[in-house]
Amino acid sequence: MKIAAMVAGLALVLSGVAFSAETIKVGHLADLTGPTGDVGKPYAEGVQAYKNYINAHGGINGKTIEMQMYDYAYDKNKAVNQYKKYKEDKVVAIEGWGTGDTEALAGFVSTDKIPYISGSYSAHLTNPAKTPYNFFCAADYTTALRAGLLYLKEGWKEKRAPKVVFIYPNHPYGIAPIKGGKEYAKELGFEVLGDEDVSLKAIEANSQLLSVKNKGADFAWIGGTSNSTAVILKDAKKLGLKTKFFSNIWGIDESTPKLAGGAEEGALVMAGSVRYGDKVPGMALLMSVEKTPQVTHYIRGWVAMMVLVEALKRADKATGGKITGTAVKDALETFRDFDTGGLTPAKITFTSTDHRPYMSVNIMEMQKGKLVIKQTMTLPRKAEWLGL
Amino acid sequence: MHFCGDFRTTYEKDIEILQTPTVRIGVAACLVFLVVFPFLVKGEYLWVGLQILIAVIGAVGLNILTGYTGMISLGQGAFFGVGAYTTAYLTTKMGLSFWVGVPAAGLVTAAAGMIFGIPSLRLKGLYLAIATLASQFILEWVFLRWEPVTGGSFGIVVPRPSIGGYVFESDRSFYYIVLAITVVMVLFAVNIVRTRTGRAFTAIRDHYISAEIMGINLFRYRILSFGISSFYAGVAGALLGHSLKYVTSEQFNLELSVTYLAMIIIGGLGSILGAIYGAIFMILLPKVLTVLTGKLTMLVPGAAGLAIAMEQGVFGLIIIFFLIFEPDGLAHRWKMVKAYWKLYPFSY
Repeated sequence: MKIAAMVAGLALVLSGVAFSAETIKVGHLADLTGPTGDVGKPYAEGVQAYKNYINAHGGINGKTIEMQMYDYAYDKNKAVNQYKKYKEDKVVAIEGWGTGDTEALAGFVSTDKIPYISGSYSAHLTNPAKTPYNFFCAADYTTALRAGLLYLKEGWKEKRAPKVVFIYPNHPYGIAPIKGGKEYAKELGFEVLGDEDVSLKAIEANSQLLSVKNKGADFAWIGGTSNSTAVILKDAKKLGLKTKFFSNIWGIDESTPKLAGGAEEGALVMAGSVRYGDKVPGMALLMSVEKTPQVTHYIRGWVAMMVLVEALKRADKATGGKITGTAVKDALETFRDFDTGGLTPAKITFTSTDHRPYMSVNIMEMQKGKLVIKQTMTLPRKAEWLGL
Repeated sequence: MHFCGDFRTTYEKDIEILQTPTVRIGVAACLVFLVVFPFLVKGEYLWVGLQILIAVIGAVGLNILTGYTGMISLGQGAFFGVGAYTTAYLTTKMGLSFWVGVPAAGLVTAAAGMIFGIPSLRLKGLYLAIATLASQFILEWVFLRWEPVTGGSFGIVVPRPSIGGYVFESDRSFYYIVLAITVVMVLFAVNIVRTRTGRAFTAIRDHYISAEIMGINLFRYRILSFGISSFYAGVAGALLGHSLKYVTSEQFNLELSVTYLAMIIIGGLGSILGAIYGAIFMILLPKVLTVLTGKLTMLVPGAAGLAIAMEQGVFGLIIIFFLIFEPDGLAHRWKMVKAYWKLYPFSY
């Protein structure tokens, strides 16, 4: 009897081993405690929540996703170290995070053939000729800026040309969309005024905003993150600026009213998702998993994992269960109007020559401490805009 | 056998680099270890080894400037960047090979360093530190804005080196190139400090007025020291760029400069060995702390959030304690350890 029990136990252990072998390894680099932790944490939680949901509901064609989150605290050296570990573990894809890690790893992921889905939406990463293994699931920064400019131009009623100024930090994240954005602003008939530099760590921006006031800018684009954007908005209110502000995707979110204390009223943000609780088909599932209201970044993290899960499923089928990084990349490039259940402003398409997921942006406005969707702007997928 | 010290009877014996059999065996063992190292480890640990070798070049270079010539520089990080961008530009945009790109990176950075070293004629100490800090900011700005050359906010994707058809794509193969360059550059540094030039550097550090009275051309040697130090930074930066396969302005910030300054202070100012110890210490310490805090997180659930903050705090504390209790650096501590065993059991 004892022997039978032991054999049964052994069989159970062995079957457990066999079962655990049926996993798909994926890496996850997140910033939970570093300088971008305020927005990095909800994004990472979105990624993990969708992974947990999928694992609890059949996994990838029956296989479990093995994905340990690593908090690299926005330290690119740590990110590279962890990447080496992931590579050794033979992960087939990585969910990444910011500009620092994405750019530091861009060279590696191309040669090691490991698809990297990031929260850094620099347009440079959308050209497969340069970065074939980089993907993301929102409109790139330049497309978002162009959409904002188009929205403002369409609403412009006066006869004279509207004046626009660009406020951003001397940082790759801030500078990335400037060239393409300025060209488009001129094309639309904006008068482009001189730039202003406000650091991501700024605690005041009086001199820069005084300059914006003196120039008489009608519109000001902010290429910062939530903290620096709140500083700009507060100082603008203090100086009595009439300028309408519109910010990049990381500039304004649900936490802004707390930071800006009312100065955010009327400011726009070019968002890459809907809001928690919006009536779209995909929201029901998200809300059933995540009961407490979340910021838009959480929803984008959720979508980033949703896209990877779909790619893993397709790659698993295509390779007969022998998934590789290349197979996942190929699978991602088969996406044609992939439906996220309305969580994103448009359906997702990736091709082997174009990694721009879509060309739409939800223009949201801060009204009485809440984000209100004003309009979904869709731009044409122009070839000359790829990577710029 | 050695009794209470080394007794040299000829000048040739006095200028030998490896003076005792123990040292010779030790250095040989170290070299053997370095050669077999890539076969003992892989992945993350191999990468850390590679980073240490590159850091050794940078730290040895900075020690020639700061440790031997007595001039503080807060621009070493930016000079790394000059080297990395030079090789990136030469190899990707002009189609030259790695073997041309890296020495050229050293030379271009040496030139840049000499230009930024000009204020050293009039300034020293803290004043010079601030002048070199300016070079850090100016160069960082150039990296980000000179788009046709530096790729602007995107940076440049650089290849790994190749000979004929063979590409040194893996970290293991690239490690050997870096190891060879590091050994050559460390040997070169050891020899510089034994020459007339090296002695002039030390004289300037110890008392620049006396040095000038002795006939040492202060300006020439100070600029030369900047040039040599920047050459090292340029080569290290170029190797860093090729190892990461990617060069972007964010990599060469003030933090990097401060880290290198910390390396030579912790390792030991005015000691080539000290620079090596410092580089090893500063690269390894964060890794060790990461492992330890990781273990702590497993033991104490819910400590994950605290762990990272603690890691940085402990990192700072260790450096402070080091400076208080071992101000002469690891090289000095090692000397004391050796002396203890040499004199044991009589501590005279």
